[in-house]
Amino acid sequence: MAMRQTPLTCSGHTRPVVDLAFSGITPYGYFLISACKDGKPMLRQGDTGDWIGTFLGHKGAVWGATLNKEATKAATAAADFTAKVWDAVTGDEVLTLAHKHIVKSVNFTEDSNCLLTGGNDKVLRIYDLGKPEAEPQEIAGHTSAIKKALWCNNDQQILSAAEDKTIRLWDKNTKEAVKTLSFDASVSSMEYIPDGEILVITYGRTIAFYSAHSLDLIKAVDAPASIHSASLHPEKDFFVAGGDDFKLYKYDYTTKEEMESYKGHFGPIHCVRFSPDGELYASGSEDGTLRLWQTAVGKTYGLWKCVLPEELSSENSEALYCPPAEIKA
Amino acid sequence: MKTPVSVLRLPSGPEPNSRGFDPSSPRFTALCSSSSSDDDDDDEEQQRLRSELRQRFLWTLSLMKHKLVQFDMHERVRMRARFGASDLDVLRLQVSELETPLGVQREALVRSQDVLACSFEL
Repeated sequence: MAMRQTPLTCSGHTRPVVDLAFSGITPYGYFLISACKDGKPMLRQGDTGDWIGTFLGHKGAVWGATLNKEATKAATAAADFTAKVWDAVTGDEVLTLAHKHIVKSVNFTEDSNCLLTGGNDKVLRIYDLGKPEAEPQEIAGHTSAIKKALWCNNDQQILSAAEDKTIRLWDKNTKEAVKTLSFDASVSSMEYIPDGEILVITYGRTIAFYSAHSLDLIKAVDAPASIHSASLHPEKDFFVAGGDDFKLYKYDYTTKEEMESYKGHFGPIHCVRFSPDGELYASGSEDGTLRLWQTAVGKTYGLWKCVLPEELSSENSEALYCPPAEIKA
Repeated sequence: MKTPVSVLRLPSGPEPNSRGFDPSSPRFTALCSSSSSDDDDDDEEQQRLRSELRQRFLWTLSLMKHKLVQFDMHERVRMRARFGASDLDVLRLQVSELETPLGVQREALVRSQDVLACSFEL
């Protein structure tokens, strides 16, 4: 029996949600961090969306946020010209890294020992978190503000996307650009999938998949509206994308066919990411909310419960919240 | 027509007065219980000092009752009034005969966040 998707809305932010990231799977489940223009990034339990804590300290909009694999550290990039590192268990601020302009992107290496930052001063910086007072290594080259910077290929290389409409692949040791991709439009988002070394890029209405090693195009799909972010399922059977028309689109990765689209947000979608187990994906929007969506609609997982029609009207259904049939989310 | 998927409840939102990171959560207790005994002693001493300061503050508020108190506010404004009471969260102070630059207010509530300092004779 076909079920209709019930997204779970996570409220709490008071301004647009511009970035989100999942941790890896830890003994305590997996976690989700959201970056918001209200300056207060939040940590949530990944499978339920339950709020765990708010990282307090930034004095401006937070543009980027990330967690390390074990969800023990968080990093944020903000308009107050700083990147901060946090203890993601206690919520305490551990480190403030001053920059010369708005910081847009932060990313940990796999071992959590180094932090990569990028922002409006057009320079990539690598901080050794074991020696925080030491000057960071700098990589210059972009001619406009950097929007996103990621470690890739076993943390030996760096991928960066900037307003100069290029994506560059850098060697961490030589600090030289190994390859450059040029586009007609500014790249709106970038996701790196280590398993399979795939890069997911969005620009204009296009969602494109590249090899992270060679930067060769694998495939590209055009969506009905301008896309701000896309994410590939860990098993690479689907990808999801969202953008200007407030809808979330789900595509078959193999056939590139659009499978479903979901309404729910009240504003453009800025970021979307699959959870590490692929069971759900989270979207952040201009409307100030995060929403969690099921990959397999109707499956019992997290707060979603698979209920057979007979159970809905029985006495045992008191504990269940069944949304009204006409959902105007 | 498709039936919408049921949910057990909605995700819980932020607490209004707390930044979260519940110290009694399993993850916190497992990953943060490694503080040394020195830290524990420091924590205890800090807590003792905090309790003492809080007690002195509350005693001061009770001693202020019926006394003429001078309030130093922003923009070098100084006002005198007879102190009545404070509310539970010390957000508002109830005063009488408040001498303001615009005249004397018989009864007033002063926003404590606007007060820089207050002084009175014991």
